[in-house]
Amino acid sequence: MTKLLSPNNRNIILELKNITKTYTTGTNSFNALDGINLKIYEGEFISITGPSGSGKSTLMHIIGLLDNPTSGEVNLNGRNIAKLKEHQLAQIRNVTLGFVFQQFNLLAKTSSLENVLLPLLYSDVPKRDRQKIGLDLLAKVGLQDKTNNTPAQLSGGQQQRVAIARALVNNPKIILADEPTGNLDSKSGEDVMKFFHQLNEKEGRTIVFVTHDMDLAKEANRTIIIKDGKILEEKHA
Amino acid sequence: MTSLGIIIGVTSVILLTSIGNGLKKYVTDQFDSLGANSIFISPGRVFNDNGGFSQSGAIMTTSFSLKDVTNLKRKLDNVEITPANGVFVDISSPFNTQKSIEIDGSTQNFGINNNLAPSEGNGRWFTEEENSKKTPVIILGYQLAQDLFPNSSALGKKVIVKGKTLKVIGVSDKKGSSFGGPSFDKQGYIPLNVAFDLAGNNDIQSIIVKAKNKDSIESTKKQITKIMLEKYDEDAFSVFDSSQLLSSINSIISVLTISLTGIAAISLVVGGIGIMNIMLVSVTERTREIGLRKAIGAYPRAILIQFLIEAVILSCIGGTTGILLGYLGTLAIKSFFPAQVTISSVILAFGVSSLVGIIFGVAPARKASKLSPIEALRYE
Repeated sequence: MTKLLSPNNRNIILELKNITKTYTTGTNSFNALDGINLKIYEGEFISITGPSGSGKSTLMHIIGLLDNPTSGEVNLNGRNIAKLKEHQLAQIRNVTLGFVFQQFNLLAKTSSLENVLLPLLYSDVPKRDRQKIGLDLLAKVGLQDKTNNTPAQLSGGQQQRVAIARALVNNPKIILADEPTGNLDSKSGEDVMKFFHQLNEKEGRTIVFVTHDMDLAKEANRTIIIKDGKILEEKHA
Repeated sequence: MTSLGIIIGVTSVILLTSIGNGLKKYVTDQFDSLGANSIFISPGRVFNDNGGFSQSGAIMTTSFSLKDVTNLKRKLDNVEITPANGVFVDISSPFNTQKSIEIDGSTQNFGINNNLAPSEGNGRWFTEEENSKKTPVIILGYQLAQDLFPNSSALGKKVIVKGKTLKVIGVSDKKGSSFGGPSFDKQGYIPLNVAFDLAGNNDIQSIIVKAKNKDSIESTKKQITKIMLEKYDEDAFSVFDSSQLLSSINSIISVLTISLTGIAAISLVVGGIGIMNIMLVSVTERTREIGLRKAIGAYPRAILIQFLIEAVILSCIGGTTGILLGYLGTLAIKSFFPAQVTISSVILAFGVSSLVGIIFGVAPARKASKLSPIEALRYE
């Protein structure tokens, strides 16, 4: 990884300004995030790491527009998302973001193909094009012969590849992955990471992934280490 | 299982409305067979002002006389007028005695006008001559003939009424029992003049006027009323046609059907609560799925609609099963009771069950649509 990123020459795709997230239980309040400032540039490959309870997942949720910060500003493509309504946020999650989860989160009784096509239910891609998009993506992740299998008939690695195909189905600019290798054996985990590198290098997609594994985190171009809700350190590869 | 409440509700709604409608059709048919275009003049007030039966109607305060009949005959053109005199008497055959049997005295037209004339092979109705000569003859209703002569044909046999011997010259065809009215099968029919002798007076209890056609019923009724008012008080007689009687009976049946259906509808509501319960469980069980769908871009409305549709499908499955069961049940009942499935009751039942799905699906669907995606995804 000698290729040095020069962030200043690129567009900022997502910017967090002084983000805090406070959880209150009874009289106790707890800052899960405490004054986070972060700029993510188009085409970056970023890892977020830190000990458990450090706030890395909360940060991921805010980046993924799944949660609102208690204070601070989130700008996506220069647009403040604070004022957007729930259905507008849903549309951004649908089209601009692609999610990959530790638990895969595939629908159990549904075939690989239908799982991949699920986000298209909520988008305006014409019905006649959907099938082909899904089949192409399954071929891309090497599962062209598993299109009709349900998740239970697939290995963990295969399930995660279905999930990646699902994340790509609306051709998103940003892929967000929360411990994507956490439930996989090391071989499958490597395959998944290899795939992320391809998406980043060949297709220029921005990738942000969360991991507690420092070694894995080093695979990214930029590693953000957080602790107690604050950014402790940023490392460029 | 989920839809059991709906199934029971819809089945009973269909069954009850079928029975109600069947009953209505049966009564209508009965009245048609009674003779269309017939206008009845009877003593007392039969109907109250609301079209229902008057409470005092049963008490016959006045009776008419042959004078009234001739008076009507003179003033009305183109109609057939049949007087009738009914007595309740004991009637005996060599085999047994039937108590309190209604025997109607009337004229030679009465049989044909009321479809009571015996068909080929079962004898005949009496003639005008037999009436004027007081010939002691009788026509028995189908059931009465069977009761009096259990093992043989009644034709040509003798029966005794009030010490008078009458010859059976005919047996009416089977009419079936009529709801709310007398059973024609358990009556006897004799010439009017014979009836006068039996009753010991010359009173006429009702006069039947046969209008020319359906359109002239109303005008004939008005004429009759005018003529009768010359002699009697307004409250002393009633002029009505079978449609009036029919609508009164039908309104009673309708009220019955509606209230019974209302009771059945309660089980639809209970069924709806069952569906709500199952949908709430389903929302809880599928919290992660909801979270995932929201994370990948499902807007709240999409989730709401998804769960609403599922609730509606559940209740419609129940509704369809209920309609089928109700239909089968109606077929079964049909063999011993008049029942008829109507399209409107099917549409109503189906509509109500999908409505129940929507109403009781809203709460769970709203709950699902309002889940926060991260909390839903974390749900174990």
